[in-house]
Amino acid sequence: MRGDTIGIDRREALALTAGAATLSFGIAGQSAAALPVAALHGGRDQAFDDDWRFFHGSGSFEALGFDDSPWRRVDLPHDWSIEDLPGGQAPDQLGPFDKHSIGGTATGFSTGGEGWYRKHFRIGHAPDDARVELLFDGIYLDSDIWLNGRPVGSSVSGYHPFAVDLTPALHRDGDNVLAVRVRNLGQNSRWYSGSGLYRQVKLDVLPAATRLARWGVAAWTRSLDGGAATVEVTTSVEAADPALTLVTRLRDSRGAIAAEARSPVAGMVKQVLVVRGPRLWSPDNPSLYSLETELMRGTGTIDRMVQDFGIRIVIMEPRLGMAINGTPTKLRGGCIHHDNGLLGACAYRDADERKLLLLKARGYNAIRSSHNIPSRSLREACDRVGMLLIAEAFDAWHSPKLPQDFSTRFADHWHEVIEALVLSARNSPSVIMWSIGNEIPYRATDEGVRWEWQLANAVRRLDPTRPVTAALNGVLGAPMIAADGTARPGMAGKTDNASTIFLDVPGYNYRLEDIESEQSSHPERVVYASETFPHDVHDYWTLGERAPYFLGEFVWTAMDYLGEAGIGATARVKGNVPYYVAGWPWVVSWCGDIDLIGQQKAPSLARDVVWGISPLEVTVQHPVPDGQHEFIANWGWSDETQSWSWAGSEGKPLAVRIYSSAERVELRLNGVKLGGHEFTAADKMKAEFKIAYAPGILEAVAYRGASIVARRRLETVSAPARMRLTVETAHAGGAHASSDRQALHYVAVEIVDGAGRAVPDAMQHITLSVSGPAELVGFGSANPQAVGSFQSPQAQSFRGRALAILRSQGKPGTVRIGVSSDGLISAATILRIT
Amino acid sequence: MDAPVYLPSDHFVAPVRTPRILTTGDTSIADLLAIPAARAIVEKDLPGAGMLLGSPMLKPHLGNFSFRSLVQFGAFKGDALDKVDLELRALGPMA
Repeated sequence: MRGDTIGIDRREALALTAGAATLSFGIAGQSAAALPVAALHGGRDQAFDDDWRFFHGSGSFEALGFDDSPWRRVDLPHDWSIEDLPGGQAPDQLGPFDKHSIGGTATGFSTGGEGWYRKHFRIGHAPDDARVELLFDGIYLDSDIWLNGRPVGSSVSGYHPFAVDLTPALHRDGDNVLAVRVRNLGQNSRWYSGSGLYRQVKLDVLPAATRLARWGVAAWTRSLDGGAATVEVTTSVEAADPALTLVTRLRDSRGAIAAEARSPVAGMVKQVLVVRGPRLWSPDNPSLYSLETELMRGTGTIDRMVQDFGIRIVIMEPRLGMAINGTPTKLRGGCIHHDNGLLGACAYRDADERKLLLLKARGYNAIRSSHNIPSRSLREACDRVGMLLIAEAFDAWHSPKLPQDFSTRFADHWHEVIEALVLSARNSPSVIMWSIGNEIPYRATDEGVRWEWQLANAVRRLDPTRPVTAALNGVLGAPMIAADGTARPGMAGKTDNASTIFLDVPGYNYRLEDIESEQSSHPERVVYASETFPHDVHDYWTLGERAPYFLGEFVWTAMDYLGEAGIGATARVKGNVPYYVAGWPWVVSWCGDIDLIGQQKAPSLARDVVWGISPLEVTVQHPVPDGQHEFIANWGWSDETQSWSWAGSEGKPLAVRIYSSAERVELRLNGVKLGGHEFTAADKMKAEFKIAYAPGILEAVAYRGASIVARRRLETVSAPARMRLTVETAHAGGAHASSDRQALHYVAVEIVDGAGRAVPDAMQHITLSVSGPAELVGFGSANPQAVGSFQSPQAQSFRGRALAILRSQGKPGTVRIGVSSDGLISAATILRIT
Repeated sequence: MDAPVYLPSDHFVAPVRTPRILTTGDTSIADLLAIPAARAIVEKDLPGAGMLLGSPMLKPHLGNFSFRSLVQFGAFKGDALDKVDLELRALGPMA
C-alpha cells in the first residue's frame, strides 16, 4: 500500500527533523525549499527506516532525556541475531552462532536476548490535529514502544504488521524520541527467527477526522465476462462525513485510468468498477493496476491510498483442479522460511525479489510462507514477479511445540494476527489461500476443532474471496459431522475429518500415500501437498497429471534457510551406524533446492528435469570412503554435484546420476562410450552408472528416437588459479544499481582454474574490499556449517563460491570491489550506482 | 466467469464424532491412548511405548502421528502393530 503525496493545503504541510537535520514535507505541485537532507511529503507510507540508534542489552531506556549518543547507528531492516557475537571465541562461537544457544539446532545456534532502538525526530508546521501513526511490518519478538517516555503500543507475535498511534504523546513543536524494546527470549521458534526491527517501518500522517481506515480497502475481481472485468471494492472510512466524496479508480501500468467510481462517503462504501479489455494477472503475466482511493472535499484530497491490484479469478474445484482466469494451473510450489540467508531475517525488497526470481527461473510458480505472515516486501515482490503465495498465520494454536512459542499467547492474540494477515494482504493478486496453521498439535481434539472453526471463519469474515487452508501432517482425525449453520456450505450433515472439516482446501504434509486412497471416500475435496520430501518430486508430478483434484506440491524447501540445522544433512557414516543427527556446527537446514547464496543443488537439477525446465542433467556422488555409507536425511539428497574433478579417486567407481526426460541416454568418458540406458516409467527419469574415474570429459547424450535432444559435459578442472567477480543484474537492485538506501547489489565470487573454469570443491579464505557509496552487509558462502562472520570482509568459499551483498549508501557513484586469496590471482569489478 | 466465494458460517456447534474402527494407521496415538480399552491394548502389546511417547520432542505430535507413521523411524515394528490392529478391530467401532 502506498500513500502518495496528499494535495492538502499549505497549512497542513508537515515537516520532520531527524536529529539536527531538517526534513521538510514537500507538497504536490509546490517546490520544496532548499533542504539540508531530503524532502519528505505528508501522507501515508513514508519510509521511517533510517537513522535509528541501537543497543544490544537490557535496561530501561525509554526516557525522553536518555543520552543514546553512544549507541550504534543502524538503518532498518536490522537483525541483531545475524551480527557477530560480541567477544565471540572460537570454536564454540563462530560469527553470529553460539554452540550453547538456547535455540540450538532449531534456530541454527543463533542467539536472541534484548535490544533497544531509539529514533529522534521533529515535526514542524503540522496541523495541530494531524494524526501520526507508525506501521511496523513485524518485530521479533516481544516489543514495547514508547514515544517521549509514554507507552504507545506493543506486540507479541513477531511477524504481524501493526500500527501504533503516536498522536497522544507527540511533541508537535519539539524533539520526539521513539524507543522500542525488543525481546527474543527462551525457546520460541523452530527455525531462525532473527531479532529486532527486521522489517520495514512506515510513517503515516493522517487527517484528524475523516480518513480511510487502515487496510480499509478490499478489492476483488467478481467476474470476467464479455471482455470486461467487474471489480468490487469495499472501502471503510473512519468518522465518515457524507459531505465528502470517495473516489476509487484503477490505473493501468501506463497511468491511464481504466475505471473509476465516485460515491458519497459512508462508514462502508461498496463500489463496482468495470474494466474493459483488462490485462489479467497470472504467474506468467503479472499485470498490475494501481488501485487509488481518495477522500475528496470538493476538488481537494483529504486522504489518499494507492496500492497494487491484479485482476484475476482463481477457481479450485475437484473436477478441474485449479484454474487461473480459466487456464488450468498446477502448483509448482516451494515452502520457504523468512530469512534471507547471509542477511539473516532482514526483509529487503531486493533480497525478496531475488529469491523469487531464482525460484521462477527453476519453474516455481508458488511459495508458501511457512509458518508465519510474510513480509510486505516479499508479498509485494510476489505480486510483481508473478509468484502465487499461500500466506500462513500460525505454527501452533492452543498447544505448544516449544515452551515459549506463540501458543503461550495464542488465546489472547490470535485475532490480531489473523486480522493483520488478511486485511494487509487481501488485495494482493498473488495470495491464493490463507493458511491458518502448520502441523498444529492436537488440532483434532474438541478444542482443536473449535479453534479450526473459529480461525477459518474469522478469515472468511475478513475475506470471503479466498479459500482457507492448513498444512496437515499425520492422520486427519476422527470422522465427524457438522450441523447446518456450522458446516461449510454444502457440507452440513456430511462426514468429514476433524482436521479438515472447516477447511476449504486441505494441505497435506508428507501424505503422498494417502491422497488417492482418501479421495474415493471424499470426492468433494480439493487438496494439495503443503510439504513434500525433495526425493518425491516425480511421484507428486505424476500424481498431479492423473488427479485433477490434486493441485500440486510445495517442496520442503525451495531454498536453504538458517535454522532447523541439518534436517537435510547428508553424511558419511560407518557401516554399523544407522543414523546421523546433525548438531553444532550445522547452522543451515541444507534441505533446499537452492543453496543459501542462490546456487542450484542436486535436487533442483532433478526437479528441472521433472518440471520440464531441462531435458538432461548429470551429477556425480561425492566418493564414499571404504567402510562407510552415505546417510541421507528425509529432507536430504545424496551428496551429488556437477563435477568430474575427483583427484585421488582415479580408477575407483563413482556413481554418476543421470536425470532426463528423454527416451534414452548414453554416457561417454573421453569420447569412449561407457554405456546407455533406455528409460522406463519405473525409472522416474533417473538412471545411475558406476564409472571408474579418469580425468577428462564425461559426457551424457540424451536421445528421443534417433535424435539427440540434449548433451551435458562435466570436465576435470585444474587447481584454483584465480578469482572471478560477477555483479548480478537479475534482480531489481542489480538491474538498476539504485542509490536507494534499501537497494542491494549482489556480487558473486568464484574460484576458477587457469582456464577460467569454476573449481567445484574449492574452499579458500578470501578477503573482500569495497570502496565507494555502498557498504558490505553480507559476505559468506552456502556452507551449511558455521565458519564465521557473515558481515566481515573475510569469508571462506564453499564449493568454489561465495557471495557478497552490498547496500547502497544513498548516493550515486562508482563502487570498486576487489577480492583476493592467498596464492590466487585477485579480481576486481565496479558497480555504477545511479 | 464468476469468482468463487467462501462464506463464513453463523455459529459453532461442536461436530458429532462418528464411530470408527480404531487402527494404528489412521488413528492418532493420542486418540488411542485416550480410550481406556485401546490404551490397554497398546500398553500390553507395545511395552516400550510409554517411555518413547513421553519424549518432549514427540509429545506435541501425538495428536497427529499414528503408531504406524513412526515405523519409518524405527520406533515400532510393523508386525507388532498388525497385532494391535487385530485387537483394536475386536473392540468394534468407537466414537
